[in-house]
Amino acid sequence: MKPEVQCVYANRPRSVVRSFNMAEGGDFQFDEDEVEDDIPLEKRKKIFLKELRCMMYGFGDDRNPYTESVELLDDLVIEYITEMTKKAMEVGRPGRISVEDIIFLIRKDPKKYSRVKELLMMNEELRKARKAFDEIKYAATK
Amino acid sequence: MFHDTERGIMASTSSMSGNSNVHKQLRVETERTPDKNSKKDSTEREKTPEPSTSSVSPSGKQDSSERKRKFEPSEADIKAYKHKREKQEEERLKMQVLVSNFTEEQLNRYEMFRRAAFPRAAIKRLMQSITRTSVSHNVVIAMAGIAKVFVGEVVEEALDIMEKWKETGPIQPKHLREAVRRIRKRDSLSKPKKVLLNT
Repeated sequence: MKPEVQCVYANRPRSVVRSFNMAEGGDFQFDEDEVEDDIPLEKRKKIFLKELRCMMYGFGDDRNPYTESVELLDDLVIEYITEMTKKAMEVGRPGRISVEDIIFLIRKDPKKYSRVKELLMMNEELRKARKAFDEIKYAATK
Repeated sequence: MFHDTERGIMASTSSMSGNSNVHKQLRVETERTPDKNSKKDSTEREKTPEPSTSSVSPSGKQDSSERKRKFEPSEADIKAYKHKREKQEEERLKMQVLVSNFTEEQLNRYEMFRRAAFPRAAIKRLMQSITRTSVSHNVVIAMAGIAKVFVGEVVEEALDIMEKWKETGPIQPKHLREAVRRIRKRDSLSKPKKVLLNT
């Protein structure tokens, strides 16, 4: 029972809820844009279950965490990412996200700030290493 | 979906609980980095990293060193950089000793801690469904990392709460909810409140 407005969003990138099974929740309408706002918590499709289980164990939970806990965390993470993304859109160049925006939002939180810096630095090092490797390969095959 | 951090064990110490010493050290490093080592900072922002000396003219002004790269790092900078490197190396060795003394259960948990990560494709898809524009690769990497730290904070807070309430077993949703509530409260308190006009 998709609303007509769906056709306007035909070229929008597919949202996470696309795979939502209409047979289960046919009594409410959903808009592909407002993914996070309209769908009630319990019915949202969980996208991080597998990874979250391992992560919870790694951070100190039981080896088999409760499924309700994992699902709740999944929602919390999605909500967090959504919030961050929306805020980042407003900071800096409105309507676009850059890494600087994220770093700006995180600046008050030492753990996250240092983690982001570290990840980006590692990524840069890996890229340099790969580039150097490719150059060696190129020079060898000439 | 699992990514292996190849770097030394130092890499993930910022998220580990129970080692406040390490956490404090990292905090000090973070505060020092933006001021002292501007060369490192601007390196991260460059789209095409290049050796620093070739294309930038030397700038004598200290206050614009944030934008332009220094032509030559000063003596104090080199010393600070080396000192930082030494500390990192020391930290790495300490972690090695620690990990070599882990029990099997601890090793398993540590491996999960290091390896578990959010799949970048799913994060990218989620972010693009919100922004409706494309999202760059680096942003996805940053967001995945931040999300993992967020999960860590919530889980650790929930474990503290469980301990306080003298409950055992796997974490229950009520612990997670209380954890989120406390974290949010703490965050809103740590921000200095803006002075209202009529108080």
